[in-house]
Amino acid sequence: MMFRSACREALGAPALAMAATFLAFGAAVQAAGLGLGWGLAAALLVYGMPGQMVLVTAVTLPGGAASLAVGPAVLGAATANARFLPMAVALSPWLGGGARRWWGLPFIAVTPWAMAMRRLPGLPEASRLAWFLGFGLTSWLVAGAATLLGHAMAPLVEGPLLALLLFVNPLYFALILTGEMRAIASRRAVICGCCAAPLVLFLPAGWALLAAGLLGGTLAFLWGERHGRR
Amino acid sequence: MGGADLALLLLILACLLLRAAGLLLAGHLRPDHPFVRWAASVALATLAAFIAAAVAAPSGALAGIPWGARLAGVVVAIGWMLWRGGMLAPLIAGLGAAAALHFLAT
Repeated sequence: MMFRSACREALGAPALAMAATFLAFGAAVQAAGLGLGWGLAAALLVYGMPGQMVLVTAVTLPGGAASLAVGPAVLGAATANARFLPMAVALSPWLGGGARRWWGLPFIAVTPWAMAMRRLPGLPEASRLAWFLGFGLTSWLVAGAATLLGHAMAPLVEGPLLALLLFVNPLYFALILTGEMRAIASRRAVICGCCAAPLVLFLPAGWALLAAGLLGGTLAFLWGERHGRR
Repeated sequence: MGGADLALLLLILACLLLRAAGLLLAGHLRPDHPFVRWAASVALATLAAFIAAAVAAPSGALAGIPWGARLAGVVVAIGWMLWRGGMLAPLIAGLGAAAALHFLAT
């Protein structure tokens, strides 16, 4: 019951955001001269757009896949997705203490995580894992289908259309964060994260976002501790 | 196995390890444990920094949308959400505003 309800929930705005972003990713993979299998493996098994895009960009650098420096490319892409670690830490207690929480592992990504952090605290403990699996699996399948479609439609997805498709993702996350900001701890984290964002302009691309998040998030946490977690 | 395939395989393993380490570290902690609250704060701040950077100073194809259109898209989407609630309608309204201004500017 909860699983099916979560599947339906994932098919609204979250599906639109996922589909737009992964459609653009599929087109970028095709444009980089990489096969559909590569694109699907990246979309479904990496399942973290910044890291995926860093890797595709590395492949498209002069020299292409043949002269790819594997070590730096992987390090940059993994660093861009390093937010998976704090996300999994924050999510884990809501999935229950047993071994079944590991079923949620492949679906830990920004969209399911952000929605889960809003929805899970209000659900009965026994229903939380089912909700996350339903939402996560649906989003994951949408991502795979959109990658496939984007790869097939690559010549049509370029210029302004590609830019608008890529814009859906930050727009959707901005809406999620707006909803989150009712809680004061979240409001602090969002404010501090925005204040730390200029770091992105000065640090190497792979590290910049994580550094901004670590700095902003730690400051927000300390700010909350100082005010007695009000 | 080519360079792109090897890089993808290593990235898949790295992402798997990051997720597994998070589940392992916090599996037996309560949601209000300081470490979990700190991690949630870092994850939210990272997301906020990503949005701020994507709107204010994006790279790649996203930079093709003028700054004013990106900002208007976010303001319209958030305004719509605060006014009428929901998620899908504000998303479409924000995207429509950004698209309209983008095409007017070009």
